[in-house]
Amino acid sequence: MALNPLTIRKLKRFRSIKRGYYSFVLLMLLIVVSLFGEMFVNNRPLMVSYEGKWHFPTYGANLTGETFDLDYTYEADYRELREKFQNEDNGNWMLMPPVPFDPNENNPYEGVFKPAPPSWMGGPSGHWLGTDTTGRDIFARLFYGFRIAIFFSLAFMALTYLIGITVGCLMGYYGGIFDLVVQRLIEVWSNIPFLYIVIILFSVIPSTFSIPARIGMLLIVMVLFSWTSMTYYMRTATYREKARDYTAAAVVLGAGPIRIIFNHILPNTISTVVTFMPFTIVSAITAITALDFLGFGLPPPTPSMGELLKQGTQTLTTAPWIVSSAFAALVFILILVTFIGEAVREAFDPKKFTTYQ
Amino acid sequence: MKNSRPVLGLLCGAALIFLSGCGKKEAVETVSSTQTADEAQAFYDAHPEFFHTKTMADIPADLKWDNGNDLPDLGSPDATKGGTVNYWVQDFPRTLRIVGPDSNGSFRPWILDNNVMSYASRHPNVTGLTEDGFHYYPGLATEWALDRPNKTVYIRLNPKARWSDGEPITTDDVFFNFFFYRSSYIKAPWYNNFYSTKYLGVTRFDDHTFALHFPELRPDIYSLSLGTVPVPAHFYSEFGDDFPERYQWRFAPTTGPYTVSEKDIDKGRSITLRRNQDWWAKDNKFWRNLYNPDRIRLVVIRDNAKAFEAFRKGDIDFFDMRLAEDWYDKLPDDADEIAKGYIQKIKFYNDIPRPTYGLWMNESRPLVDNRDIRAGIQYALNWDLVITKFSRGDWGRMNTSADGYGDFTHPTLKARTFSIDKALDRFARAGFNKRGPDGILVNDKGERLSVQLTTGYEHYKDVLTILQEEAIKAGLDIRIEILDRTASWKKVQEKKHDIAFVAFNVGPELFPRYWETNHSANAYDKAFLEDGSVNPDRKVKVQTNNLQIFADHEFDQIIDAYDRSDDLEEMKKMAYKMEELLYEDASFAPGFVIPFMRHGAWNWLKVPADGNVKIATSFEEYRMFWVDQDLKKATKEARKTGDSFEPAVRVFDQYKLD
Repeated sequence: MALNPLTIRKLKRFRSIKRGYYSFVLLMLLIVVSLFGEMFVNNRPLMVSYEGKWHFPTYGANLTGETFDLDYTYEADYRELREKFQNEDNGNWMLMPPVPFDPNENNPYEGVFKPAPPSWMGGPSGHWLGTDTTGRDIFARLFYGFRIAIFFSLAFMALTYLIGITVGCLMGYYGGIFDLVVQRLIEVWSNIPFLYIVIILFSVIPSTFSIPARIGMLLIVMVLFSWTSMTYYMRTATYREKARDYTAAAVVLGAGPIRIIFNHILPNTISTVVTFMPFTIVSAITAITALDFLGFGLPPPTPSMGELLKQGTQTLTTAPWIVSSAFAALVFILILVTFIGEAVREAFDPKKFTTYQ
Repeated sequence: MKNSRPVLGLLCGAALIFLSGCGKKEAVETVSSTQTADEAQAFYDAHPEFFHTKTMADIPADLKWDNGNDLPDLGSPDATKGGTVNYWVQDFPRTLRIVGPDSNGSFRPWILDNNVMSYASRHPNVTGLTEDGFHYYPGLATEWALDRPNKTVYIRLNPKARWSDGEPITTDDVFFNFFFYRSSYIKAPWYNNFYSTKYLGVTRFDDHTFALHFPELRPDIYSLSLGTVPVPAHFYSEFGDDFPERYQWRFAPTTGPYTVSEKDIDKGRSITLRRNQDWWAKDNKFWRNLYNPDRIRLVVIRDNAKAFEAFRKGDIDFFDMRLAEDWYDKLPDDADEIAKGYIQKIKFYNDIPRPTYGLWMNESRPLVDNRDIRAGIQYALNWDLVITKFSRGDWGRMNTSADGYGDFTHPTLKARTFSIDKALDRFARAGFNKRGPDGILVNDKGERLSVQLTTGYEHYKDVLTILQEEAIKAGLDIRIEILDRTASWKKVQEKKHDIAFVAFNVGPELFPRYWETNHSANAYDKAFLEDGSVNPDRKVKVQTNNLQIFADHEFDQIIDAYDRSDDLEEMKKMAYKMEELLYEDASFAPGFVIPFMRHGAWNWLKVPADGNVKIATSFEEYRMFWVDQDLKKATKEARKTGDSFEPAVRVFDQYKLD
């Protein structure tokens, strides 16, 4: 794809803003790592060598206890198995991921399910950030919570922008009665308090659906109530661009409205959109965290930062590591995205290249 | 927000005035006092089969009158009156009415159940049985008698008995009780039905003597007669169709010691109960040592964790510490407040029918309609792990749907324990015999063994996730759905659940009830045809407590016989039989019982030497505590100076069952 020289200059400028650029690199790295999260944070080993046969349990079907000549038919408990291998010492071995815990498994601490402090604070080994109230590894939950939140936000952003940009551009391009009517509709629609709607909907939605389906529904509900703000910017931007000569030229050449909007006007207004993107992500992460905090977000036991924060506020005195880990993780991610956002905004700021006379 | 409320109120008020101006003029007019009295009288006249007036000479002479005065006194003789107790409620009450819309909230026990004085009350410590049922001690009544052949209870009111506004309590109020609760004005169909069907009539002999007549002589006949309270006829002089709105914030005169006056209501923030210093029964045996604090101030705190912190600060005087986390981690025995004796920890083992915490499986839904799957699910639930690792060994396992009824609880029946092999065996019998790639069982059609579990108990979320993780080992996938309490209850009442995790809160009754939860009349509309075969056109009945949609013709016969029986021995046998059948059916998976109450209380809040009563369900229920005001001052002082008292971690296990 041939990039517009102007865009190339903007990207160069973005790279030159170190704070934003490195934040971007770091976030991308995190996203890529989280995509292959099962290889880093999991209670299944990357690889098992048993009786001369190799197994790769990370992805794919469960390997039952019987595979390793254990007396049960459910999934093998690999951490236990590893100890067995070590004790027997007859050539069987396995390679566990760096964090050998599943986000949903309960690990008793001192014989009961209660929060265990991080390993470096004297807690059980392996739990870098400790465990939560039912003994689930906090690092694992934060890690998978991040993965869900970030992909949720990306999908949220894509969908809101798709709707917001389309409707906004159409309003700006057609103007007149259409603009007037749709604007009023949007005003009415955007006055519906989104949070309450989500809460009401989610307390009555039948959850015969699987967890991914429920997450999808939450996404759709959030998108339905969030696309409106984008339309205002796109509408004005389109109004402005529509009055320019190149649009008139395109019309004269016989281009249809869709072609004009998406091929001619949109590329010229994209800088507005781009600068908003990181902040949309921030607000989406915040919203999903807030909903989880209130107990109306992702269904349990889905790992999430909001749910951890909630637990943390209830155990402030007894298990401060829960709230501090969740809080630090959330702040870290939000700061990364905000730094990116600032850099993008600066890089795409037209004032840098324009002088008014 | 703070300032917008009155404005909003004004607007609403304006809208109301506007609306009322449009058509409903009659409703605004006041109903005069004679009008209600006339209406009540007309009602009595219209139902001569129910309301009778006779003379004292008509009372049978050979009645055996009982007065309960030989029963042991309640509370501690050391108790002193005075002081304020601070406690919390989660929501501000939506009304001060005790009946009608919104009245059945968590505040009602404070002004009704735990406050009023009935004709006589079941003795909470002497829990054995007489030939007439439980032991009762006198309240509003001085004595009572049971006329077995005529299924009638005679009651003589104490002439000294007064409403909290000073008016005497008479048989007028007893008659009015039936008019009131059977009236459509109260908008409470349950009461309408209850007072129409459970009683056959009432007879007045003089101002202080009356009798209640029953259609059946049940062993618990006293709870329906002695255990009830009259309604103040003089207070409801404006009783009409607008009753819910008109009486929304009026505190009705009560037979009990605490009242609420307008100055004690700080809407949305707090509500204070004030002790009636001239309560007529304040020196009577059984009552003199109870109801000690002058004021009970209930502050609204929305969040449990926040309330705990308020307790720790000393803003509220006691706190329910049933959660292991609170008891062991947040306030361990070596915590500063405990070690220095500022806060006492009190664990009290009670002996009551247990709330039925367990899984209710809906037999009209796919998968759980199969008995093998239901039994398999029961084997796949690792309650023991929950009990040992989550409750830290404090809870016990529930064995039947009627635990805690003493002799009425099945003596040998035990609930199924976690067993992967047995679960897999039962699932295999239902066709689920291989594991899918995710370890969950599938049948030949490729269906997964996946069921949905609905609950409104957010605080037991962790219990369910533990069960969920363990069930995977047995190849069962449990999808947990945690809804808002009201939404969850609605779903369950509409019978749209696969499995519900709920508990029925059962009162300390003589024997368990089976009709509500197990009779086919509460499962389907016309479940069976005349000959006892299944009605092919039957429809699931909603809004009943038969959550398993359990319908069994034979079982119905037992319930009907059980509900008619007046022979305790026979009833026991039937109860055991029913529990055995329920075990076979496996639609109710018994969960856990919490055999104790556990509280933290500031040291100035004193409790009797034996802690509480045998059938207590909460710390405050019997109001046995009192405030040691000198100690309160001393403790406040000591918190500044760092002085300490004798630490008190007290366990009352005299009623503990093994």
